[in-house]
Order: sequence, then structure tokens, then C-alpha cells
Amino acid sequence: MNKDMNFDVTVIGGGPAGLAAALEAHKEGGRVLLIEREDRLGGILKQCIHDGFGLVRYEEKLTGPEYAQRFIDEFEAADIESMLTTFVTDIKKNDVDFTIRAVCSSGVKTINTGVIIFATGCRERTARQVFIHGTRPAGIFTAGTAQHLINIQGQLPTRRCVILGSGDIGLIMARRLTLEGAEVEGVYEIQPEPSGLARNVQQCLIDYDIPLHLSHTVTRVFGRDRVEAVEICRVDENRNPMPETARKVECDGLILSVGLIPENELAESVGVTVNKATGCPTCGENQMTDVPGVFACGNALRVFDLVDYVSASGEAAGRSAMEYLKEVRANG
Amino acid sequence: MGEFDKICKKIKKLSPNIEISEEKGCIVLRGQVDDWKTAVKAGQLAVNKKKYLGVINDIKLKGFVPSPESMLPEDSSLDGQRPDVLVIGGGITGCAAARELSRYKLDVLVCEKGADVASGASKANGGVVHVGINFSASSQKHHYNLIGNQMYEELSRKLDVPFERKGQVMLCCKKWERIPVWFLAHFGEKKGIHGTRYMKREELLEHEPNVPEFIDGGMFMPIGGITSPYEMTIALAENAASNGVRFSFETKVQSMEVRTEADGTAHIISVKTNRGTLYPKLVINAAGVHADEIADMAGDRTFTIHPRRGTDIITDKKAGYMVKTSMAKAPFAVAPYEKEKLKGKAFTTLRLLINAFNGSNHTKGVGVIHSIHGNMLIGPNAVETPDREDTATYRDEVDAIIRMQQHLAPGLEFRDVIAYFTGVRAPTYEEDFVVRKGIFTDNILEAAGIQSPGVTAAPAIAVELAKWAAEYLEKTEHVEANENFNEERKAPPRLREMSQEERDRLIKENSDYGVIVCRCEEISKGEIIDVLNSPLHVPTVDGIKRRLRPGMGRCQGGFCMPLVMNIIAEHEGIPLSDVKKAGSGSVITYGFTKGGPEDAVAAAAGDAGKEAADE
Amino acid sequence: MDKNIKEMICIVCPNGCRMTVSSEGPDEIAVAGNRCVRGKSFAIKEMTNPVRSLSTTVRTDSEKFPVLPVRLSAEIPKDRIFDMMGEINKIRVTGPVRPGAVLAKNLLGLGADLIATAGIATKVRK
Repeated sequence: MNKDMNFDVTVIGGGPAGLAAALEAHKEGGRVLLIEREDRLGGILKQCIHDGFGLVRYEEKLTGPEYAQRFIDEFEAADIESMLTTFVTDIKKNDVDFTIRAVCSSGVKTINTGVIIFATGCRERTARQVFIHGTRPAGIFTAGTAQHLINIQGQLPTRRCVILGSGDIGLIMARRLTLEGAEVEGVYEIQPEPSGLARNVQQCLIDYDIPLHLSHTVTRVFGRDRVEAVEICRVDENRNPMPETARKVECDGLILSVGLIPENELAESVGVTVNKATGCPTCGENQMTDVPGVFACGNALRVFDLVDYVSASGEAAGRSAMEYLKEVRANG
Repeated sequence: MGEFDKICKKIKKLSPNIEISEEKGCIVLRGQVDDWKTAVKAGQLAVNKKKYLGVINDIKLKGFVPSPESMLPEDSSLDGQRPDVLVIGGGITGCAAARELSRYKLDVLVCEKGADVASGASKANGGVVHVGINFSASSQKHHYNLIGNQMYEELSRKLDVPFERKGQVMLCCKKWERIPVWFLAHFGEKKGIHGTRYMKREELLEHEPNVPEFIDGGMFMPIGGITSPYEMTIALAENAASNGVRFSFETKVQSMEVRTEADGTAHIISVKTNRGTLYPKLVINAAGVHADEIADMAGDRTFTIHPRRGTDIITDKKAGYMVKTSMAKAPFAVAPYEKEKLKGKAFTTLRLLINAFNGSNHTKGVGVIHSIHGNMLIGPNAVETPDREDTATYRDEVDAIIRMQQHLAPGLEFRDVIAYFTGVRAPTYEEDFVVRKGIFTDNILEAAGIQSPGVTAAPAIAVELAKWAAEYLEKTEHVEANENFNEERKAPPRLREMSQEERDRLIKENSDYGVIVCRCEEISKGEIIDVLNSPLHVPTVDGIKRRLRPGMGRCQGGFCMPLVMNIIAEHEGIPLSDVKKAGSGSVITYGFTKGGPEDAVAAAAGDAGKEAADE
Repeated sequence: MDKNIKEMICIVCPNGCRMTVSSEGPDEIAVAGNRCVRGKSFAIKEMTNPVRSLSTTVRTDSEKFPVLPVRLSAEIPKDRIFDMMGEINKIRVTGPVRPGAVLAKNLLGLGADLIATAGIATKVRK
């Protein structure tokens, strides 16, 4: 570990975007540090055990962990410095550089860096954010939480569930739960079209005879301790539930795949302007935010369909960051 | 016409199906109605505080089925116990009373039906430490609120609970509204509420820089404050527990055996619960929405709890700047957006004005509060319900609350909302607390009807209850002071609030403090383990959430919930699927995906594994 | 043989082409809507012998990683997926495992091996 803690580029987030950004900045000659909150690199790909990753980049059908591993191997071979189980608590913008404060199991660390690349990914919209009402029992999970429980912890989060939202993670989870012996009563989507990829509708729902109900939503949850049922309503063209169409579906779980929000709270704290509606940071062509020296990539920049594009955006940010740094240093 | 006949006439007019009688100094209503509003209205019409002890409203709603209650374990863990004092209810009142009782050398047991303290209204409210400007001077609410309010600084300090006295504001829209404010302030001063005054817009902006254009100013009440109601309840309980009070969760009182003495006084012999039958010397009824049922079991009922739901909404901290104190529009103030509604209804305006003075304005306008943790809290509304356990939220109500508050916090948007919850208030028809010794039963103390401002009043009520309890027990035995009583409780360290140096030092002592589990609220594994080791042991996801806030941030537990589950499982030495959200029935996962028990050794695989290891 | 017309979505790549496939027998299959040749071969396969890849997890002895992600090395008939799940669920891996390790060979005689898609660094629990 670099004792003086001075870096050209600090990448925050060790998922596909961050790994790609760190590698690219390193190739461009930067002294790079990657900070990751968890104790393993790979980000959300660690739990995306299904295949279909890397078709664009490698023309191969890889699973999430395999796709991540390619980058991790490259990252480790390049001997780029990283801090795992490390959490950035605050960032101060100085005249020419930044001071990052981070917490890890050996204490509070102070890091100086020329530029910062945010590769902080995204988080899932929750039940309350899509205004599901009723009680708040156990058994309501976002698709990502359910995926973590089943694929990382090996735990079955539901025996019979309803999935709200046809985002890709929701579709993937419908298949995954079915394979593990749970019953998926149906997938309900408020829009008139599925929001995930068509191929996922085919291979995750149609293949397993899981019905997809378009223009429907979950309006209410029943159950005191554990979910006992949910209320489903058809929605009108303005996406408002029509109460007369309400029906109760018995289930012990509700899985939500109702959208992803780029996670940019840390970027905001450095002064990056974040669009309130989309959660996306204001960025120029080169992925630099409106705070000079601060870059964004991957799902923190905007939510991508394919990890291949996430990696590409990481690489682009890594390159831009180094270009910017060289330019500033040449002029300064 | 006598008072009773007057009441009868009014109620009969409302519904001929209601039977009215006078029993044991109370007005008693029976019958069945088709509409809950009628039942509530009848109860309200029956109030006559001068002549009667209270209203017992047993009117049933036709076809009503209450929400199912939580599944409770059945065991005999409490069977045969003889505590000196049994406190029924682990809300803020019960916990405060238990803590006060722990000043004496007594065996005190708190039975709580939920899986944690603060499982009812104590967790589901805004945490305002009230001023109480609108309570009538003769009410118990006024009495206990004022004392309680003054106790908060010291109590919060001793119990290490966040508390801020930032004031409370009642917003006014028109110049004339300064007049009623002057009167309210004047009467307030007489009641002992000091410092209230009208603040013109310019000055108000220093306290509340984001009030909308149409606000002329407001009644500023400097004694108003804000706390975290569940953290206060937990702190009171933890302090009580470390001073020897015992807590039994998921324990519901099912019935009581009561003996009637020769002089007609009733006496509680035993109390039956799902964990066995207890023989307490004295019972304190702090059962919240169920207080009238408990009083009834004890033969001491003079009141009725008519449950009133209130929904609150929490925004992301990013929206927290919109309000700095806690503010609501004055009940008599007419905002531009309401003009249409009140046009030509001078009477309505007048009634709003009168209500502000006579203490009957119990529903209170929905307000906006800067929560102690920096979120904005909006609400609550007030909806009468026959269902004591109806903590559900409803789309139309939440929408209405948000739309209404957008007038006061114009920057508020639906997407700022991160959570909402419902609490059920426990008002009596008299709309006052019932804090008293048993009237018909000698060994019960009532602490009923504790709705708003219960959080403020609870510490004061507790002092009174403990004093009465000691007096009662003193009749038969000497009640000694608990010389080991420690009135202070330390909250587990909150690392995010520390200086970098202090944080660094603590992490070097315990590396778990450096492992961040909750990214939204920046909570470490070490802090979670501290909570699991605290005197009040509640190893559930909700228990941790309430004590430390993981899962209360913008991701609402999406990321951290499985991690918190893991820490609990590891610390308690239980399988992951035994970690519950709250009570026994709130199962989170159904065990291992591959079938079979979690720690059972599966059949084959040996060879494959070896091969893998060899490669 | 009757003419058999089927609508399907190609799962080969993220384009997810909607295809119309009509067949009058195993040798006479017409595919429309596909944007590439891989789509056509998928459609033909789908009409004759539909196959799927499978990714899941296996149990481990590790306390930290109670399950390990795995995939099959080859596609298997679609209607054997649940049989295969049953077979995989019987397996318990004792670590350490490196990514890419073959955990079981020719499962159910379907010609597919079970491949670890991630690794377990150290053995944690006996």
C-alpha cells in the first residue's frame, strides 16, 4: 500500500465500471487507487450468477462472476492498489486536488487524489417509493435483496411470490426462484410493455410458464407478521390503479423490480449537480461532471442495460480522467 | 331536563339503535351500528366530564372484523411469578414508569405484546416535545405535558437520547391572525407556558427560512422540541433493565382473576398471559390502544379507547432543509389555497377559531417536522377506526397528506418520500389522559388515553405512577430505595457523529467499527454488535433498525438487511432463517435453498469437491 | 404433417428478435424476423430439440460462502432442467475451489459438466 496516500486517480466502487475505469487510468500511466466498500471486488456481478454477460465485449456468454473475474484478474495482474472493506465518508475539494476520508477496519484513512471517478453503481427503488400501501410485514424484498439472499446466502426468501415490475432483475429472479422450487404466481408490470429485455421475457417467464400481466400493479400488502396476500389492480392509461379491478392474490412474498436509481449521494456532497428525477449526474461528453476533476461512469452515470456498456463507460471515464489530469498539469 | 336525558336525546336522534344507561358513574352505550362514524359520534355526544367518570362506549360496528394480531408463542416462562409491579405495555409510558419504579428495590416486570418496546404508537409518531398551548388548563394533558416538557433536557442528557429545543411554530397567513395569537400567548403565559409570541415574517425567516410567500408570520413557541420517540422509549427501557426491571416481549395479557372484597372493592388476584399466569401485587395499565380492555378485565373501566389512525411520511434527508423546527398552520389561519373552500362559511372559520382556544382541537392540523435525524416528517392525519391494530397505510390518505403539505413546503415532491407509517392513537372520548389510581379496583394504576402529547408527558406521568405504586406497596411492606439505581444510560457509540480522531481511535480498539454495513446511514458492524449486547436484548432486524437506523435510509434496507441478518445470526449463534424481522411469525427466509436443514450434511459431492481442490 | 407456426423471441443475444417460425416437418423450417444467422439456428433448434444453458448454485462447506455459483458447460434439453437442478442440489462442495474448476462431470449423462463460476479461497469450516 502506498504509504503517502497520494494518487492521480481514485476510483470509488469496485464493480464492473470501477474495475474498468481503474484499469484504463492505469494503462494511461496514472497512479490509481480503487476503493471498494465490500470485501470482494466485482460489485453486483457477484450475485448475478446467470449467464448472458459479455456477448458484446467478448462474444461469449459469461455468467456475472465470470465476467467480473476477467477484470479482477487483469486488475490484480496490473498490481493496481485497492482498499477493500473501505467506505468513503467524505470528500473535500481543494484548489487543485481532493482529499478523501475513508473508514476501514484499520482506522480512518486520508487520501489525496488528483481526480475522482465515481463508479458507485445504483440502488433499487423500494416499495414505499412506488407507493405500495397496506401493512409492512416481512417478505417484501427488492429483487436485488432477494437475489443476494438466494445466490450469496443460499437462503430461500419466499415459497410463493408475486413479482412487481418486469425489469431484468425481476425477470431473472422469477426464473431463479422457480429453479429453486419457489412458485412465482406472476409478474406484474404497470407499463403496457415489459421493461426488461425481450429475451429475458422468453427465457425467464415464457420458458417456465410464468404469466406476465402488463398494465397491472400491486396496490396493497396484507399480513401482519409475514406477507399473506397482495392486492393487484389493473391501471388506466395514466397508470392510476382502477379500484374496481382489484383482486387479492395469496402469497408469502412480494419481490420488487421497479427501477434503479444511480447512487450519487457522495458525488452530490462534492457539489456535483444531480438530476432530481433520474438521479443522474450532470456530465459532459467526457463523463466529467460539473465539478472539474470529478468523473462518473457505469450505473452511477446512468442505468445501463448491459454490463458490456458499463465497462465501456468505465474505460471512457478512466481515459478522460487521465487526459484531464495531464492537461491540468501541463497548464498548471 | 336532566343531564342524562339530554345525552339520551342527542344520541337517540343520532341513532335509535343505541341503548344508553348510567352504570357505576359512567355513561354506557350499547348496540350495533352500520357506520363507525355513528359509534364515534355517539361516544362524543355522551361526554359530560362534570357529571360522569367517563364514557363506556360498547357500540359494535356491524360486520367488523379486526386485523389479525401477531402470532404469539405459548409457553410457561412467566408462570407462577409474583412481581411486585406488573407493567402492562412497553410503550413510552410503560417504560418510563418501569424506569421510575426501578428507583425502588422492587421486582418489576414489563409485559409487552410486541417483539420490542415501542411497538405501537410510541414508534409511530413524529417525536415532537409539545408546547401544549391549546390544552385546557384543567386537563391532565396540560398538567403532565408542561412538567414533562420541562423534564426533557435533563432526561435526554441522562439517557443519551437526541433532543433539540428548536421551538414550534404555528403559521399565520393574515395580519388579523396576530390577534388570536396574542390571546393564545397570553393565556399560555397564565398556564405556565412561557415565551410564546407572534413573529413577523422577517424574524420568522431566521427560524424557518423556507416558509411560503403567503405566510405573514407565526406564533413561535420556544419551549417546543423534538426527540426520537422510539429511541427515548428504548433508552428508558434499557435504563430500567440495567436497574433490574425485567421485560417479557410477545407477552399478551389475556384475562385477569379479580376478587371482590366485602366493601365492594375489586382486587386483581392473577393475570393470565400466553406465557403463564402471574400473581402481581400491583398492576400498571399502560396498554395504549388496549387500555380499556385491560381496565375492563380489572373491573376498573371508566373510559373507552376509540382508535385513531395517524399516518406520517418521511422524506429523504435531502429534503430535510425545508423545515427547521416543527410547524403547522394555525388552526384558525386561512391560507390562499383554502379560501375557496371556506367562502361564505364564516361560521366554519369562527369554529376553527373557537376550537383553538377551548382545547377541543384534538385532531391538530397536519404539520411538517424536522426530525431529530434530519429527515422531514410530514403528518399525521387523523382517521377514526374501529380497528385497534390497523397500522396499514392507504394510498388516498398518503397522497392527501403530501398534497396538503406541498402548500407549506413548496419544494416537496413525491419522489422525496422514502417511507411512511401509521400509528394508532389511543384517545378516550373525553380526549384527555386517564392517569389515576384504581377507582373500583385497589391494585391497579391507570395510565390510559395516552395519545399526543404522550411522548412529552410520559416522564411526568411515570413519576406520578411510581409515587402511587410505592405508596400502595408501602401499605403492606416497607419499600426500600434501590441504592444501586443508576439514572444514566449511555447510548452505544455512534461513530458517524464522532471526530475523525475519535473514530480512528475506536476502530483501532475494535476493527468492527471500521466495517460499514449500512451505506445510507453509515453504520458499522461494531455498532450493531454493541446493540446486540445492550441490556435490553432484541436481536431482530427491526430491533437493530430502531436502535441504529440501518434500513431507515434511502435504500430502506435493500443493501444492508441481509448483512444485518448475518451479524445477528453470527452473534446469537442461530441459523440465518431464525433471524426475524420482529416477532416470531415475521420469518424473513425459509431456510436453505437446496432443501434440508441448514446445517445438515448433504449426500454426494465428496469427489467433486476433492477434484476441485486438487486442480 | 400440419403446418406448425410459432412466435418466439430469440434468446441468443440482447437484441431479442421476435421471430415467426413455421415448420412442415423437421427439414422444412422457415424462420422470419431474425436479424442474424444465429437466430435462425436457434429457431430451428427450438422447433426440434429446444435446449437451455443453466446457471445455479451448489452448497459448500464454507460458512462465509454457503453457496457457490456454478453453470453447466453445455446446454441441455429444456425439459431436463428440473431433473438437473435436483442433481446439482445433491452436490456439496468442500473448498477451496478456484473459478472454472469442474465440480462434476457428465451430469445425468447429458454431456454437461458442472463448472464453478467463482472461487472459494479458503476452507473456513470443517
